[in-house]
Amino acid sequence: MALEVSHVVGGYSQIPVLKDISFDVQDGELVGLIGLNGAGKSTTINHVIGLLTPHKGTITLNGVTIAQDSQAYKQQIAYIPETPVLYQELTLREHLELTMMAYDLDHDVAWATAHELLKTFRLDNKLDWFPANFSKGMKQKVMIVCAFLTQAKLFIIDEPFLGLDPLAVNDLLQLIEKRKQAGASILMSTHVLDTAQRYCDRFVLLHDGQVKTEGTLSELQAALPEAGESLNDIYLSMTKVDRS
Amino acid sequence: MTELFHERLQRHLREMAKYLRLVFNDFFVFALLFFLGGLGLGYSNILKNLKADQWWAPFVALLVLIITAQFGRYATLIEDADRVFLLPKERAMHAYFVQARKYSLVLAEIAQVIVMFILTPFLRVALGWSLMEVILLVVAQLVLKDALLRLDISSAYQVTGQRRMNHWAVKWLVSIIVLVPGLWLTPFLSFVLILFIDVFTWLWLEERWPKQQIRWREQIKIEDNRMLGIYRFFNLFTEVPMVAGTIKRRRYLDGILRLVKPTHSQTYLYLYSRGMLRGTEFSGLVVRLTVIGMLLLYFVRGEWLPIFLAALFIYLIGFQLLPFFQQYDDVVFTHVYPLTEQQQVKSFVKLVTIILAVAAALLWVIILIANPTVKTAGGSLVVELIEVWYLARIYTPRRLARAIKNRG
Repeated sequence: MALEVSHVVGGYSQIPVLKDISFDVQDGELVGLIGLNGAGKSTTINHVIGLLTPHKGTITLNGVTIAQDSQAYKQQIAYIPETPVLYQELTLREHLELTMMAYDLDHDVAWATAHELLKTFRLDNKLDWFPANFSKGMKQKVMIVCAFLTQAKLFIIDEPFLGLDPLAVNDLLQLIEKRKQAGASILMSTHVLDTAQRYCDRFVLLHDGQVKTEGTLSELQAALPEAGESLNDIYLSMTKVDRS
Repeated sequence: MTELFHERLQRHLREMAKYLRLVFNDFFVFALLFFLGGLGLGYSNILKNLKADQWWAPFVALLVLIITAQFGRYATLIEDADRVFLLPKERAMHAYFVQARKYSLVLAEIAQVIVMFILTPFLRVALGWSLMEVILLVVAQLVLKDALLRLDISSAYQVTGQRRMNHWAVKWLVSIIVLVPGLWLTPFLSFVLILFIDVFTWLWLEERWPKQQIRWREQIKIEDNRMLGIYRFFNLFTEVPMVAGTIKRRRYLDGILRLVKPTHSQTYLYLYSRGMLRGTEFSGLVVRLTVIGMLLLYFVRGEWLPIFLAALFIYLIGFQLLPFFQQYDDVVFTHVYPLTEQQQVKSFVKLVTIILAVAAALLWVIILIANPTVKTAGGSLVVELIEVWYLARIYTPRRLARAIKNRG
């Protein structure tokens, strides 16, 4: 079992946003984290990457928690934020190099991977650019390249599909598929439900800081038989219950 | 719209007052009084020895007047969000711009009056003018500023296509055209000329602006630059969050940066060294303090004073570097990367050691040139070595430990 989130209560302040949530991500599995704005997706992710400390509960990654050994924990994680953040003073080349240094990667092997990724995302001629000169989509691609440079066991991807061009979305999905085959786990939050429906193995539906349901699409369909066929329908019906 | 401007003006003035209180602290006021007193004394001495009708006097007056006429920029206080939220109110914005001009005009005219007041004895003595002539020139200068601010307000609209009427060259040209006949022939000419120009631009603008679009982007940029200038000034005295500093590529420094070997333990040094050399904020601080220290040490004579001054400057530099530790706290990867806080502290200490050592070496070379005695040069060397070691290796880690604890 790769990632296990168990009974986590947490948030930015003393008032908890997450109210006792539990789910897991298995090896070689792509789990979609689905929820409305403010449902707690980003808060969950911030807990998993270690930016926030849970008030209660534990988050274990291949048997290690962040409190036990933060370096061993973080070594296994690669993160792609929703809003790309880059070091303003570093060029693209230096961002890649910094990633290699931080994850202690073999430079020759990593650069070979890097060049391949750069070519895929059409960034190979922009190695000496500063972030200020990149568009938002390009910055997002830089984030993807940096993340997939690593040999992380868990990829955490926050809303990857908005802002990327269709070609890049397709390339990203292929990259995810390849890493899944190699045994890595992926936790991905998104609002683009039809893409999620096609690619995710399992779904965690968050609502108001709680896990409403989780499971594969067929499990969800079985649990809510009158809701409809697609993830979209299931999700809408689930939120409707709450609104009325 | 008038109300909107007044609301903003109040907020702006409150903010300025807050910073001005910090700028005009007791020490600074004291230094300023001394400085102004000295300047006043020098000026009155020059006036006493001045003979009438010097050929160069009108040139001096011209230069002073032109530069003074540029004082007091057009403060619109418009913000970036305005081009979205106020776009539907574009026509009504004129009332706002007019209010903004009124405010800018008051400030600018106060500056004109002060300079003219100081210049009056010079005009009377060096040009041999009568009081009437001086008054005419003062009025001309005031109207000139009014006209220049009209150019600014006209540039808020796309009245003149791509050409910008608020370009500094245009303003200088107008000032020269108005002032030259006044200073060499009679100030009455300046008065008539500027009255004509001012009324003409006024009528011209009144006729044109209702049909034109506002140059939102440009106006916002101008205002941002104006505010940035003000914040930069305040930043000399206190910390201003709005001044972030800019980034320059500085390719010629790549050789130094390559000295940092790309290994896991050096990750933070790799990041910090690039941030330090390419960002203008902290590198500027270090360079400014080092250069001022060097200049001071070059002119100072004495046995103990140079040692004390060098120590003081090294302390100032080391102390100001500390906030750079948190420079990357808001980049999420600083926290996500599998790196430890010990590595971060170690890298930062290394960076501080290098910077302080270089600064100390430069200061010491100047001491060697200016005060080449065994006692001073040797003493400062010992003091500097101990100080750099203590600041970088003992003091910095201690302070950083506290900063990390507060990070939570």
